[in-house]
Amino acid sequence: MKKRILFFSCLLAGISIVLTAILIHFVVYRNLSESQRVEVGKDAAYIAAAVELSGEAYLKSLEPLPRELRITLIRPDGSVIFDSEADAARMENHRDRPEIKAALESGVGQGAHFSRTLSKQTFYHAMRLSDGSVLRVASATDSVFLSFLRLIFITLAIVASVFAVAATIGTRVTRLIVEPINRLNLDAPEENAVYDELAPLLSRMKKQNDTIAEQMREIRRKQIEFSAITDNMREGLLVLDRDARVLSCNASATALLRARVNDPIHRNALEWSRSEPFYRAVTSALDGASSEALAESEGKYIQIMANPVVDAGSVQGVVVVLLDVTERENREILRREFTANVSHELKTPLTAISGYAEIISNGVAKIEDVPVFAEKICGEAQRLISLIGDIVMLSKLDEDDGSHPREAIDLKELVEDVAARLAESASKKSVTIALSEEESAENAEITKIRGVRRILDEVVMNILDNAIKYNVEGGSVTVFLENTASHALLSVTDTGIGIPADEQERIFERFYRVDKSRCSAVEGTGLGLSIVKHGVKLHGGEIEVKSTVGAGTTITLKLPR
Amino acid sequence: MREGYKKQLEALHTGIIRMGALCEDAIECAAKGLIGESRPYREKALKLKSGIEASKHEIEEICIRLLLREQPVASDLRQITSAQMIVTDMERIGDQAANIAKISSYMVGSSVKSDIHIEDMSRATLKMLSDSVDAFVAGDLAKARSVIVYDDVVDDLFARIRSGLIAIVSNDSAKGEACFNLLMISKYLERIGDHSANIAEWVVYSITGKRKRFQDDLRSGG
Repeated sequence: MKKRILFFSCLLAGISIVLTAILIHFVVYRNLSESQRVEVGKDAAYIAAAVELSGEAYLKSLEPLPRELRITLIRPDGSVIFDSEADAARMENHRDRPEIKAALESGVGQGAHFSRTLSKQTFYHAMRLSDGSVLRVASATDSVFLSFLRLIFITLAIVASVFAVAATIGTRVTRLIVEPINRLNLDAPEENAVYDELAPLLSRMKKQNDTIAEQMREIRRKQIEFSAITDNMREGLLVLDRDARVLSCNASATALLRARVNDPIHRNALEWSRSEPFYRAVTSALDGASSEALAESEGKYIQIMANPVVDAGSVQGVVVVLLDVTERENREILRREFTANVSHELKTPLTAISGYAEIISNGVAKIEDVPVFAEKICGEAQRLISLIGDIVMLSKLDEDDGSHPREAIDLKELVEDVAARLAESASKKSVTIALSEEESAENAEITKIRGVRRILDEVVMNILDNAIKYNVEGGSVTVFLENTASHALLSVTDTGIGIPADEQERIFERFYRVDKSRCSAVEGTGLGLSIVKHGVKLHGGEIEVKSTVGAGTTITLKLPR
Repeated sequence: MREGYKKQLEALHTGIIRMGALCEDAIECAAKGLIGESRPYREKALKLKSGIEASKHEIEEICIRLLLREQPVASDLRQITSAQMIVTDMERIGDQAANIAKISSYMVGSSVKSDIHIEDMSRATLKMLSDSVDAFVAGDLAKARSVIVYDDVVDDLFARIRSGLIAIVSNDSAKGEACFNLLMISKYLERIGDHSANIAEWVVYSITGKRKRFQDDLRSGG
């Protein structure tokens, strides 16, 4: 813009100067030639008068002639008598010259001659003298072009200086015009009151600014919404383009895949994770088929679901969803182990039963041995029944849907009841059971807790049963009850074999038994403590195990009221 | 044309990452086949070997095509030449993993392997390979250099395993065969470590254009 303004102002100045110069020159030249013509006339009159007086001799005395005057004297027949510049004798006849002709006819003749070669303009003035001869005075002057050419350098100098002035002023002016435009506050276009001419532009600009701001807000809001959703998802989300480069990802995806690159966007998915299942899932999705895979790394299981993004019949990218299924997988493993254990535990007594029954039916057994076998069959069948009972119990505990009826239970009564039922097995091992109680209860009601009788019965039964089974001959079992306002504590201490510290965590697992070699000696399904754990959990309680190998074990239940 | 060139370079890059992943898998399978005595893993390690070889051919073809058609210069040229070297090392790693799997099948039930640091060593070599591939993926110079330095750890482990095996054999000559096999296996693992260090060196070269001398400086300095 600055350049344009400068260019035009200089151009304008230049053109006006040149035109003015030419115009002035012409006007001046016209005046000049007019006055010269008059001058020549005057000169001719003077000289004619002088010649009339003193004849040709005057002409000769005039030399040298002032200015560029040329005097010629011509006879009435046209031959030249005298010429101030050339040899008169050699000159041609002048009768046909227009000024001479006019002078011969009317006494005065005028003419002008333009000589191209000399770039001179010559004015003639001819007068007829009294003797009939004609006196011609010629005055030469620079032609219009020559005089113009003489002036051109001055003109150019003026043009140059005017250019310089125009440029300086132009720059100033331009700056004055442009500066406010440059200083426009484009963020708030309406507030500028620089030029009225800019008002429509500025108001349009404001409108567009508003639209852009609105759109930006919308985009930002959507982006925040999207990232709020994806970043708070536990699932990993990964969007890949058709060259498997990552377009978008969330924090979970980075964590789940243990992305090995710092700047994951636009990286190839392979650079994220080199795991085989991930690669397969992504490549098959790129081929247009949805696929699922399970990747395992460092004890974590990640489920990968890759879906192709199909647009206009071709795969444009892949959306990958990643799920941490470690817990599910671990549960699945537990379930598989449990099933295997159950089948094994069920099969063992059945094999024994079938074996004994076969012996009897084959008649191989002596008649007096039959009761022995029958007893064994009975024992195994009992074991089977109690095992199935435990499994049923556990599965019921697993599905706590609130269907178990709750009632007020006096723990002391319950423990006494269970102890009575276990009295026989205790006496077999000569183990004594003692019950003591913290005497803090202000009334009887406080010893009662709300619970499911059948389940609590099973829980206490299992704990006491274990305390007797794993006790030493002649040992003791102490049950201690304490009631507080918020919960009831029930602890069972035995003088048994104890549980090694590193196994205390595992005793509540299904089918887990501390001392495998003891298994055959001590009857049990391996599910007892599992039932205890789930039963207590169902009541919202806690279990604590303290045990010293060889000294005994204390199991404390904390049941909320 | 340049677009195609870029695509080819990218294919080269991902191809090597993929091949690296296969090698990692192969070592892991070989280790599981040896220590976990799992037959499917041993078979998988053997199968991976052919996959790795196929990968190598594919990558070499890309390299040759790029060199002939595009006549790359400067860092691109370095990238391609180092890719050619890296795949050679990776192929050797695949071979070693397969060899380990083969020998492992004679080792089922042997108790000797739990007496020495063979598991530590397999873990260390796997780490070396993983790190060198990571360095390649990210163009991580520091990581590549750390792999080169880490080779000493693996070498050290090999020396310890070797002397451990000698001690076992001199006490109980019945375990001779197992010890021999384990010596082979640990040597293979040590070679895998060397190849991984080579890969890291090529990564350093492709980034900086400097070769070998750096490593010598590092060794003598550290």
